[in-house]
Amino acid sequence: MRPRVLCLVALLFTLVPTSLLGQAGEQSLPPAPAKPESTEAVAPVANETKSKKDSSDKDSPAEKRKFRLRLGGVSVGAGYSYLSGPYYYPYAYPFGYAPFGFYPGNWVAASYWYPISSPYPFYTPDAFRYGDGRGEIRLTTDPKEAKVYIDGGYAGTADKLKTLWLDPGAYDLTVSADGREDFHERLYVLSGKSLKISAKLDPEQTKVTP
Amino acid sequence: MSAKLGWAAAVVVIASLAMAAPKGTVPRSSADRYALHAVREKFSIGVVTLSPEQARKQFVSDVNRCCVVVEVALYPSKDGKLDVSLNDLVLRQNNSEVGDKPASAKVVASRLQKKAEATRDISVYPSVGVGYGNGGYDPATGTRAPGGTYKQVGVGVGIGGSGPQPGSTDKDRVAMETELGEKGLPEGAASAPVSGYVYFPVARKKNQTFTLEYTVNGEKVQLRLPQ
Repeated sequence: MRPRVLCLVALLFTLVPTSLLGQAGEQSLPPAPAKPESTEAVAPVANETKSKKDSSDKDSPAEKRKFRLRLGGVSVGAGYSYLSGPYYYPYAYPFGYAPFGFYPGNWVAASYWYPISSPYPFYTPDAFRYGDGRGEIRLTTDPKEAKVYIDGGYAGTADKLKTLWLDPGAYDLTVSADGREDFHERLYVLSGKSLKISAKLDPEQTKVTP
Repeated sequence: MSAKLGWAAAVVVIASLAMAAPKGTVPRSSADRYALHAVREKFSIGVVTLSPEQARKQFVSDVNRCCVVVEVALYPSKDGKLDVSLNDLVLRQNNSEVGDKPASAKVVASRLQKKAEATRDISVYPSVGVGYGNGGYDPATGTRAPGGTYKQVGVGVGIGGSGPQPGSTDKDRVAMETELGEKGLPEGAASAPVSGYVYFPVARKKNQTFTLEYTVNGEKVQLRLPQ
């Protein structure tokens, strides 16, 4: 039974309390003095204003201060993911298998990035189910647990697939197993037709070095 | 800049055409490895006709419905080039002046789709029964009626509906075209041996024999195909 994962209901509130620091002071400031006529008078007026601002921060009573809560960002999300099975290097995780064969969140990476990042097709668990207008491929392999690839995309192991229903078209079938030579065949699928494929993988030839 | 773009476009077009071109079959080591063969100065040719059974195994498409399939292998002579074209091949019925040119994968796929559309599944269910019937006891007369054997023969016929038949959709036509095209004899200039299937739209009949004619550069080869 395929594991199902229902995950990720996230509610994120980022609260940024803003002590009014200068704002409260600014609000309590008296109106700015009238614009002086000459530019020479600007500097002393500015200094005077600054000194007033500093003193108002220190001296203003607490009840006059206003606290404002500002919501820096609100994020509400919900997600659903259907775990189809393990993903295989190099489809989603470019650094090989993570330690202990587990890479946290690998299924997330596989589910979301695979279709975009990989040139090979991505097959969902329903990809090979019976459907109207589809053709049948009955696959037997030796060894039985050989990996099956359709157009370069991983489809599953032969012992679990057994029968594949595909839309009419041409496909490249590859069957591979450790220590065996790959089996390649071009498939042509027509609706309502059944095709029997028997793939016997020969042991890999070991290179003899003199 | 525009010249570079032009070159790039040309490369893309040529690459796509090359990818789409038929790949054919793997030619045998020499023409004499084929059941029928002929050697000429500029080329050699090897031919084998696919029986309906062989065609059924080689193709997912039901080519027997419309065509006679012939595998043709052409071997250009050393340092020579051969311009391979389907138009140079003719299948002639023996004792007849009529000849048939090969059909392209597209045409054959279209014909097969139409034939599949027109087909309806017909199932025949024969039944045979043999039994013995006991006469039973007649309560009115108190006697036992004599028994006897019986035989019954019946046939049930089921005709399929008018729904989509196997191989009759547009997707099927495209798939058939792909298959027939990829396995077909590659056309164009060849400096190495090439081989592939050629589809002649001829209905098979009993005791019918054909002759395959190949004419190139004014040189004609005639090969009488077996039944």
